[in-house]
Amino acid sequence: MTEVRLVEVTKRFGEVVAVDHVSVTIKHGEFFTFLGPSGCGKTTTLRIIAGLEFPDEGSVFFDEEDVTMKRAYERKAAMVFQNYALWPHMSVFDNVAYGLKLKKLPPEEIKKKVEWALELVGLKGMEDRYPTQLSGGQQQRVALARAIVVEPRVLLLDEPLSNLDAKLRLKMREELKTLQMKLGITAIYVTHDQEEAMSLSDRIAVMNAGKIMQVGTPKEVYESPRNLFVATFIGKSTAVMGKADEIAGDRATITTPDGFKLRGRVAVGYKLSRGEEAVAIIRPEDFELEPPRVDHNVIEGVIEISMFLGPYNRLKVRTGKQVISAYVDPDISFKQGDRVKLYIPVDDVILFPAKGWEYIAYEAVA
Amino acid sequence: MSEYKGGKSHKIKKKSSLSRRLRFTLDPFTITMIIIPVLLFTLFLVIPLGYVLISPALVAVQAGYSPISAVTSSDIIGTNLLVDPITVTTGQKIGLFPGMKYTLPSDGYILANGQRINLVKGTVIEWEDGTPYAVFPNGTRIELPQDLRSVTIPYRSPFTGEEAALITIHGIKFEGALLNSLIVAATVTAIAVILGLLVGFVFARYNFYGKTFFRILAIIPLLMVPFANAIVVRRLFAQDGPISYFVNAVLGLPYLIDVTGIAGVVLTQVITFFPIVYLNVFSSMMLIDPTLEEQAENLGARGFKLFRTVTLPLSLPGLLSGAAIVFIFSLEDLGGPIVFQEHNLLSYKIFEKISNAIKGGASAEAGLLAIPDAAIYSAIILAIALTVFVSIKKYLSLRQYAMMTKGGRWTPRARMLGLKGHLIVYLLLLPFLLFAAAPQIGVLILGFSHRWVGPSPEGFPTAENFAKIATDPALYKGVINSLVYSFSAVLIIILLGFTAAYVVARVKLPGIGVLDVLATSPLAIPGIAIATGYFLMFSQPFLRGTPLYIYVNPAVALVISYAVRRSPFTTRAIYAGLLQTHPTYEEAAMNLGASKSRTLFTILLPLIGISVLSGALISFVYSMSETSTSITIGLANEDQRPLVAVMYDQFTKVEAYQIVGAMGVILIAIQLTSIVIITMVLKQRYAFIGV
Ligand SMILES: Nc1ncnc2c1ncn2[C@@H]1O[C@H](COP(=O)(O)OP(=O)(O)OP(=O)(O)O)[C@@H](O)[C@H]1O
Ligand SMILES: [Mg+2]
Repeated sequence: MTEVRLVEVTKRFGEVVAVDHVSVTIKHGEFFTFLGPSGCGKTTTLRIIAGLEFPDEGSVFFDEEDVTMKRAYERKAAMVFQNYALWPHMSVFDNVAYGLKLKKLPPEEIKKKVEWALELVGLKGMEDRYPTQLSGGQQQRVALARAIVVEPRVLLLDEPLSNLDAKLRLKMREELKTLQMKLGITAIYVTHDQEEAMSLSDRIAVMNAGKIMQVGTPKEVYESPRNLFVATFIGKSTAVMGKADEIAGDRATITTPDGFKLRGRVAVGYKLSRGEEAVAIIRPEDFELEPPRVDHNVIEGVIEISMFLGPYNRLKVRTGKQVISAYVDPDISFKQGDRVKLYIPVDDVILFPAKGWEYIAYEAVA
Repeated sequence: MSEYKGGKSHKIKKKSSLSRRLRFTLDPFTITMIIIPVLLFTLFLVIPLGYVLISPALVAVQAGYSPISAVTSSDIIGTNLLVDPITVTTGQKIGLFPGMKYTLPSDGYILANGQRINLVKGTVIEWEDGTPYAVFPNGTRIELPQDLRSVTIPYRSPFTGEEAALITIHGIKFEGALLNSLIVAATVTAIAVILGLLVGFVFARYNFYGKTFFRILAIIPLLMVPFANAIVVRRLFAQDGPISYFVNAVLGLPYLIDVTGIAGVVLTQVITFFPIVYLNVFSSMMLIDPTLEEQAENLGARGFKLFRTVTLPLSLPGLLSGAAIVFIFSLEDLGGPIVFQEHNLLSYKIFEKISNAIKGGASAEAGLLAIPDAAIYSAIILAIALTVFVSIKKYLSLRQYAMMTKGGRWTPRARMLGLKGHLIVYLLLLPFLLFAAAPQIGVLILGFSHRWVGPSPEGFPTAENFAKIATDPALYKGVINSLVYSFSAVLIIILLGFTAAYVVARVKLPGIGVLDVLATSPLAIPGIAIATGYFLMFSQPFLRGTPLYIYVNPAVALVISYAVRRSPFTTRAIYAGLLQTHPTYEEAAMNLGASKSRTLFTILLPLIGISVLSGALISFVYSMSETSTSITIGLANEDQRPLVAVMYDQFTKVEAYQIVGAMGVILIAIQLTSIVIITMVLKQRYAFIGV
């Protein structure tokens, strides 16, 4: 059990700043995830923690110990690689036993531990196979067994599920979580799949362009995004631009170019002033067709598309220039051109100043 | 706030971050991996070559004469034409004068007033009262014209006994050796480029029946058979050789053809080296994205225009590197000049001086004092080669080589030839390729013949030459020596090649590119310059009594020279292997606590062992046939002569061409075996020399 702390870690590759002044503390026994779009620096961050990449600036701590100058083989941070990196010239047993042999354990103990690890990942009896004789899921589990058998201080996982099919991915996701809790080990996970991050993690660091945009529990980053990037990257959402008026405490109302008004709460840490351009972020699942009891907004529009998707109906509603996406009760059917009234609680509308909106290079369409 | 930091503090931060990074990256293992190749290349490449490059200055100081005058002497840059490029001999004219009595040694004739009077052997020409008469052996006596000046004895064909004209092709030869060398290299390069481009283009862009056979045929000239290949070319084009026989006896034309001197050197080099251009161009063309050519076609570029505007510029990397290598190889070639006895070339002049100094044994004069001229000439050749190398070094780098040989990213754009195309290929390309493969095929015939002096070999097939090699210690010792030297060299090469390739592929530090350049440079550095450098270095009196002393122990210098000259083959193979092996395999091991050396032995070596092996095998093969240092340094000690030095001896001293041929057969056999092992068993790429 180890606490991992990054302090102002920066890594450049030529012109590219892959990791940009990242500071974060990962607690004992925590399942922590770096989540972000492709190329945002997640892998690089993980490799810096493992000692495989050396930061240009900043330090890495394991508990109180500064491990920045420690090399990979001195860190006891075992990594599960995205491509598994199972050694093709060794059997499953030898792959898993490799780290134990380095510790010069007696053969019987090695055998016992390897068996324990393989049983844990459900691969008992496959000791003599070679990596090429295994399926993707099995390979992934061998990689996992190889990492946990050495009882590392930290377990590092770089998109370990990305090469698996959807079904296996779900199953492995659950197994991984159970295993981590059973071992009580600090696990640092990297993914660009937010659902994976949400379901696995105790806490998530959302990254963009080498910077950490927000750290928090899945619920926090979903419900209280700290910035437009997190708001639009996590979950699905529609962004509605407007001019702020009626500001009262953390509540404000914006008037959209289409003429309707939206009341919502100003995101934590921001202030809106009268007349300022603002963006309202609304999530499709927060819409209702009946007026809710709480304080709410009403949006009127014309159905452009209505799509039945099982648990809900997906609507695209045009209010003028703006198109809003909403998931609503599937029992009520619409057809194109119908007028509709959508209700959304004021608490579920999050307002950000629009300054810098155009710099968020992320598609935020539901 | 950080934006407002002064420039100074920013710099300090950067510096300290670099030193931190250096401390992190440079663990003892990595330092060792860097030091080994850097040390070996410095000691055995940079220092000897540096010595050669500064030798002109040292000559001025030590030997006390002006290097400028040595270079500007007419021997080196003289522009007087020494021989006519082509001479035609139709007969020998014997001058006559009144009062003289002359008996014809063979049939002849005189020309008088446009009339020809034939005279038979034994005819006597004599004067009586100022009038010349011819008295035939049968006693007939005729009066000859008053103004008789000469009698002509016609040139007769050795095949038919008929009169024939001997056409001797010498090539243009000037007084200056440097001038000759440059002309030869430029000519050979130009012709090799044209031929290589044509052949490469046909193979890259067209399919036809028998293409595999054609492609095999096209690489036969790259089988290294020093001396033997030139001997065969000389025999083929001798006045009593098979080509003269064909022209004169088969076609019945009154001509005999003899290719000698510069022309023979050029001819041999062209057919030996053009495949270097061909293979480079071919792999370049296979790398061209076919859609680029298709786009150009859509824009209306067809035929030659398409070739000139798209295909040619895109295959330029291969073309340039091939051309540069051919130029350098031609400049440093010794086999051709030795066999055709063309001594007016720079490489030969250097060779002659060093080998004389070495054969002379350890005299009072050592190092530079023994060979001041050779050192200056070597500095010239080296300077030219380095200039060429530097201008194309990016095409020769490990990175580029790995990229060039990966290939297969797209389906090559090859079109099936029609009937007309097949006719052209079979009527033009096939004869040409057969002709280019003739030296190697000829070596096989020569090695299995009793002797070959006339148009055709005598006593073919016989194994007597091999029996002789197996029983004559002076001969088989050469084979054994070369095997031992090459094997020892390979051990050094594996160390050198592995460390260099590992550092270039895996260690991420500024300045590592220098090692890439250093590791590939021996491909383009003239062997004769290395020989000079080693002679200068290893003949120093203070080495007397040590195993390094070249007059007593050329073996050590030879092994090192083989190791340095042939290491790039192994380095490139290992580098390619490292690029194909994802670094995460090593990282996974280090992650679990394996030190870098442990990772090397348990993970990396098992994974790329095959690349190491195949590279080492290629280095071994080309060490066996190494020429420049073998026939210079290698001559110092009779007992330590390598195979190629024995071939040289057999050629020059006893003219036992068939023994040279048999030794060439041994070299070909070793090369073919390695090609089969590497491509079929190890499933790796065989890298031909110069490619
Ligand atoms: N070895 C390297 N050399 C040069 N640039 C690199 C290197 N490794 C990463 N980068 C660059 O650094 C940035 C961050 O890369 P990184 O691999 O950390 O992203 P990532 O978040 O893991 O992306 P993905 O989800 O695609 O795996 C990218 O722009 C990438 O191109
Ligand atoms: Mg990644």
